[in-house]
Amino acid sequence: MNKLLDVKKLVLLSTIVTLAALALMVVSILVPNPFLLVLAMSVGQGLGALSLALYLLAIVLDLQGVAPESVGERERSGA
Amino acid sequence: MSAIHSVEQLLKLIALICAAVSAAILVWYLVKRPPLGRTTKVLLLLGLGLLPVLVALSGNIAGYEYTLKRPFCGSCHVMGPYLRDAEDPSSNSLAAVHSRNHRFGEESCYNCHADYKMFGAITTKLNGMRHLYMYITEFANTGPDGEGGPPIHIYKPFSNNTCMQCHSTKLASWMEKHPDPDSIRSGDMRCIDCHDVVHPLALTRRKKAAAAEQKPAGEKTEQKAENKAEGSK
Repeated sequence: MNKLLDVKKLVLLSTIVTLAALALMVVSILVPNPFLLVLAMSVGQGLGALSLALYLLAIVLDLQGVAPESVGERERSGA
Repeated sequence: MSAIHSVEQLLKLIALICAAVSAAILVWYLVKRPPLGRTTKVLLLLGLGLLPVLVALSGNIAGYEYTLKRPFCGSCHVMGPYLRDAEDPSSNSLAAVHSRNHRFGEESCYNCHADYKMFGAITTKLNGMRHLYMYITEFANTGPDGEGGPPIHIYKPFSNNTCMQCHSTKLASWMEKHPDPDSIRSGDMRCIDCHDVVHPLALTRRKKAAAAEQKPAGEKTEQKAENKAEGSK
């Protein structure tokens, strides 16, 4: 159950971090000034890479959970 | 929506569409919190992986393209006088004349100030980072045209090679006007030593330097040092 929670938390965290990264990148496209461009290309893309890594980690942890059915199905069945 | 006229605009549009779709998927996940079934995982892979990577890629290229343009260089207020002169249709400074040339167009700053070596684009952009650092640390609170800040100077002497990217120095008409072409090609004589009306601020400072020639030696040394530091930019 702990692992299931971890996977969900990782996905949740990854989602939030990706939204922040997207916001930075979109702002730099809409208002392209030097400071925002540098921010988007460094912090924005760093956050994007971090969020993808978190999601991939979540997938790996989920796959290590053995069962072929999804985490959600396992949760619903109370396993 | 205005029509798309350049690759940069197309890339921006692609980036914005990808960002919108990605954000929609992520917000849907945050609001609905569906079980992590196969469909959800694939959607999340799109929203967290593929689409943001596309946003970053197209955004990077579009951002890089924008950094080559004059409005970007002029977005720091200290560049105001340089930008105004370059865009002045009545100005005969080198910057303005070249900016009116369609081969330079909006990229006139970059075309003249970029490094032309194997890693020229990278070193130019690294210098740009240095500009940003200098701007934040030394020019952020200066006057509308950078008054009160330290003198602006070019990092290294302006190379003739930059001019020779376009001016081949081989044409007969050019040879007629330049009696010592070898010293120009070798860089012993600099193009801007004669073609010195580069930027209006440099002009103003040269006038100051000329005035200093009339002053006593002690004051003159100080003025020369300032002129040297400010260079031709």
